[in-house]
Amino acid sequence: MSYAQPSLMPSFTRPASRVAIVRSGGYDHDLGALVFEALREFDLPVGGKKVLLKPNFVEPDPDGIINTHPAVVGDVREAFLRLGAESVRVAEGPGHERDTEAIVETIRLRDFLGPLPGLFVDLNLDEVHAVTLRTRASKLKQLYFPRTVLEADYIVSLPKLKTHHWVGATLSLKNMFGIVPGCCYGWPKNVLHWAGITPSILDINSTVRPDFAIVDGIVGMEGNGPIQGTPKPAGVLILGDDPVAVDATCARVMGLEPERIDYLAKAGVLLGHLQTGKIRQLGESVASVRTPFAVLPTFQKLVARNGK
Amino acid sequence: MTSGQFRDSYCPEFLITNQNSDGGWGYHPASASAVEATAWALAALVAWRGTPPPAEVCVRAREWLLKAQRADGSWPAYPGQPQGCWVTSVASQALFLKGGAGIAVERGLQWLVAAWPAEGSLWWRLRQRIFPSRVVRQDSSLKGWNWTPGTASWVEPTAHALLFLRSLPPQMLSPHAAKRRQLAERMLFDRMCPGGGWNSGNPLVYGVAGVPRMGPTAWALLALRAHAERAEIQKSLGWLEGAYSAILGAASLALAHRCLVAYRRRVSPLAPALGELYSQNRFFGNVLTIAWAMIALNEERNGAPLGAGEARAQ
Repeated sequence: MSYAQPSLMPSFTRPASRVAIVRSGGYDHDLGALVFEALREFDLPVGGKKVLLKPNFVEPDPDGIINTHPAVVGDVREAFLRLGAESVRVAEGPGHERDTEAIVETIRLRDFLGPLPGLFVDLNLDEVHAVTLRTRASKLKQLYFPRTVLEADYIVSLPKLKTHHWVGATLSLKNMFGIVPGCCYGWPKNVLHWAGITPSILDINSTVRPDFAIVDGIVGMEGNGPIQGTPKPAGVLILGDDPVAVDATCARVMGLEPERIDYLAKAGVLLGHLQTGKIRQLGESVASVRTPFAVLPTFQKLVARNGK
Repeated sequence: MTSGQFRDSYCPEFLITNQNSDGGWGYHPASASAVEATAWALAALVAWRGTPPPAEVCVRAREWLLKAQRADGSWPAYPGQPQGCWVTSVASQALFLKGGAGIAVERGLQWLVAAWPAEGSLWWRLRQRIFPSRVVRQDSSLKGWNWTPGTASWVEPTAHALLFLRSLPPQMLSPHAAKRRQLAERMLFDRMCPGGGWNSGNPLVYGVAGVPRMGPTAWALLALRAHAERAEIQKSLGWLEGAYSAILGAASLALAHRCLVAYRRRVSPLAPALGELYSQNRFFGNVLTIAWAMIALNEERNGAPLGAGEARAQ
């Protein structure tokens, strides 16, 4: 269970993280083989494990621009099963929409996963357990988390590559807001906003740190994300064994400086690696896939200068 | 599953079969009893005008809810949690409908009326004056109810509180409660999306109109039934009618259907549509969905909305 893992380690004591950037021409371009080959490179310890995929499903989205694409979810699930996982479930607790069925139906998740009951878990309505947070970045101290998350052996954060109108960018760390159950905190989970988005991201990820992250950047979102932005094709999947390093790499691909994204800069101290020198880059280089994302004027300060 | 089974028996049978041994319901069969799930299951069974459920089912549910109430009169999401929250509205209303829990209902009412959202605080007002939000634009002096203590007003918890207050006889409402009701109604109108309908409570972000959602729109419309003549209501009903045929979730369908029936709009029978959606995901075994569907089917049959004329003597 991730909760028991030593997730809090000063960055300088951690071994280098591994992040792969994989080009993909689209959601129907033999994505399954691409995902499986990329994951195999990591030699992940998932044999016999209960794997939980946490995509980013926010709202009903018939145009497929807000949520993690279901083809990615389906192919990642298939890949983890091929790698020997005992089970791979998909779980999400959308932040605004109570009717989770309406979301998964508008994005046609069933077409990619097969029958959903038993496989897909609505984390907003799961049984909960109180967990003392492992850091005190916020004043929260304790949160209720869903049983499905706490009982998973291996958690994969599976967000979409998007800008965010409150924090600049929403990636694998921010995606973990979705494990906080609406049945206890509401829709939206406003307690996290009042406790501060940055400190809440840190507290949640220090306590339930994803073991792996895969970001759907085949088509991302720029501008007024995470809901009302504009689709932005970047043609990549970005994956790795350290969610901080994955998010930092995503930011660089988006033309943003991760050190200027408040929660990422702070996560780089205790939760993972931010610096390129501590990230072992696999696959494509950042420079070769860099796709500058437009940001709201408030976040112009995050934009990397001189193509850095 | 036939539409006749949906209309007559599936929902009550599901709820009766899946009541936990402690008298409550979880959000799903065999999961720990939760206040919201229990309250909606009880409300659905009490209001049901088909074959009545065994009396002990509702009595045990009432006892479970009474035991879960906190000393301050509120209900938490799950028993034993350290603070009450929005489910207080739903639990209070379910107990009021069931009857025989007058003191508990009165205590729930008192807690709700005394529970103010955090945007009313001195600190909030000061911060807003010094650093006015450039992101969202709304009148923060119009306060409703929050999901959890210490946070801001949102559409759904405000609508739930209004529905509870609306279900009570006027003599139960103090002048203060009546004032809060008026304020909350104004708050809901303020939070309506520019094109009609509601989302969770941010109608404009960075100047961009919010997209309405089925659940918040249906709850807000149900809560504002007394203002049916207002243009905002008609506009929102128009949005809901336009979006109805594209609904892909059973919970949304049930809520939207309740709403259209409450406003006496023409709508196709619910049971066949529910039957179609059942074949998708079997409603994920979601107790709330099934309770809401049962209430909607009942209202379709009766024409009378939940809380209007069904209350037992307290």
